Amino acid sequence: MVLKNNLSVLSFAAVLLLTSCSTEDRTIDGVGNLVPRTVDQDANLPAIQANNARLHAEASGPANGTMVVVLHGGPGGDYRYLLPCKDLAQQGYRVVLYDQRGSGLSQRFPKKSYTAHGAGAMDVMYDDLSAVIAHYRTSPTQKVVLLGHSWGGILASGYAGKHPDNIQGVIACEAGGLKWDDIKAYVKDSRSFKLWGELLNDAAFLDQFITGKEDQHEVLDYKMSLLVSRNDITGEGTIDPSVSWRNGAVIMDALFDVGDTYHIDFSAGLDRFKKPVLFFHSENNKAYPDTWAKQITNAYPSVRLVKVPGVGHDGIITNHKAWTETTMPAILTYLRSLP
Amino acid sequence: MNHPIVRYILLFSLLLPAHLPLRAQVINWGNLQDGQRHWINAHTGAQYGMVFGLGYAYQLADSEFPVIANAAYSFPSGNNLLDDFKAKLGTQVRLLQMNDFHFAVKAHGIFRGYENELVRLLNWGMDLSGTIGYYRPSWFVAGEAGFDKAISTRFKHTDTYKKQYPDVKDGWYAPATGGNFNYGLQGGVSFGRHDITLSGGGLLQEDFKKKPLLPFYLLLGYNYRW
Repeated sequence: MVLKNNLSVLSFAAVLLLTSCSTEDRTIDGVGNLVPRTVDQDANLPAIQANNARLHAEASGPANGTMVVVLHGGPGGDYRYLLPCKDLAQQGYRVVLYDQRGSGLSQRFPKKSYTAHGAGAMDVMYDDLSAVIAHYRTSPTQKVVLLGHSWGGILASGYAGKHPDNIQGVIACEAGGLKWDDIKAYVKDSRSFKLWGELLNDAAFLDQFITGKEDQHEVLDYKMSLLVSRNDITGEGTIDPSVSWRNGAVIMDALFDVGDTYHIDFSAGLDRFKKPVLFFHSENNKAYPDTWAKQITNAYPSVRLVKVPGVGHDGIITNHKAWTETTMPAILTYLRSLP
Repeated sequence: MNHPIVRYILLFSLLLPAHLPLRAQVINWGNLQDGQRHWINAHTGAQYGMVFGLGYAYQLADSEFPVIANAAYSFPSGNNLLDDFKAKLGTQVRLLQMNDFHFAVKAHGIFRGYENELVRLLNWGMDLSGTIGYYRPSWFVAGEAGFDKAISTRFKHTDTYKKQYPDVKDGWYAPATGGNFNYGLQGGVSFGRHDITLSGGGLLQEDFKKKPLLPFYLLLGYNYRW
């Protein structure tokens, strides 16, 4: 009798578990429920077509001015936190901001669309950048400068080594590293997963509530957004709140996989890029001491290093005081010095 | 709370007089003694974070198929010990005994909460699991496997998240928002009224491809019986 009763309970539990999967209601992977729609889901968003991808993008400033293409961090971030860069448009520069493929509000692609390229996965990112430049460039003589923050700085440096003649300058903000081992070391140093700490336990505990299948972008992007907000080591979100539209979890996962498998060297070819590079690092990023900044910037043949006081990793651009008093003035001086 | 799944879970929870943590309150089936019906349990270790937990169990029946009902509460460490928690309610029953070999199954309703600066989550879930092993009065070792399903989850976002995405939809979400398999070993020693147990193994998401951030569990438990 006891066995019969308990089998009934177990059967009820099993039926409940199975029927729960067919309930019609608000769904975690529903478009627009937990994360914003992307440009292929919302025609009202500003977008361009580049390299067979629909990218969330905008440009401001005179169309013929020196073009400053802003590259966000991540991989998988977006350009919302870099909107202060639009101030450069008022100084006569053509400022282009775009969310990289699979990131922010740009179109999503399956993980295999990146990993299937093997070590060439980064070429997709470079080809996107070439296509964005081509989309906005009004003449072959229009100067182009890349302004990359964090992963964007890595991407800008890799592009400079790959296409040294296509751009006239690089501005990089705290690129974690250019060689894969340096990138891994930086990521490790900049994330504190203390065994008993809130960060690790918040991140790990969440796995009981939400799990996403591969390429289930709505779920994975949302989950990623809950994990990235504030970092006491790098100073992200400690002075100014972090802002973003939507994370790109799949591209982040894919590019880290590719980087780790093929040990991508983003400094390859930089010896051919003889133009000056402007490099920022922040005072409050404990994972980015002066020694690390010097080690990373050794890869550039010509570089000027600027330390931004009083802020952390994001604050180089997101903090109004740092941006208006240190970062933007240095960028303007650099841009005006380009031949 | 108006969600039909929630009502089902509430009904299910009422049907089960108590509950057992998935692996925390490990039972030595070879040491069930006449007159001992109560267990209290404390456990700590790694299970979706570094967790601490307390539990109580009560043996409902002494028959050939002993039934043990349990209730437990656990929480992860961190700066705020009250923002995240897991409470479970359920029973386990030994279905088969051949000499010192025992096979038991468990079913538990789960209610858990999670909070950070962006969202507050409340979740109704369920886990089903089984153990099979060799049990002696003073020690035991067994294999275990189970599935933990997050059936329905309530999302309540903070102003911080709504500043980022004002159109986010709060409320109960279904169907299931997640699920993880577990597989591993459990063992322990028993003496007097005490059990010291250790269980550990791996975790795998329901797509059989991805793993949780902490892809393993390792829990040390202590039972006092009377």
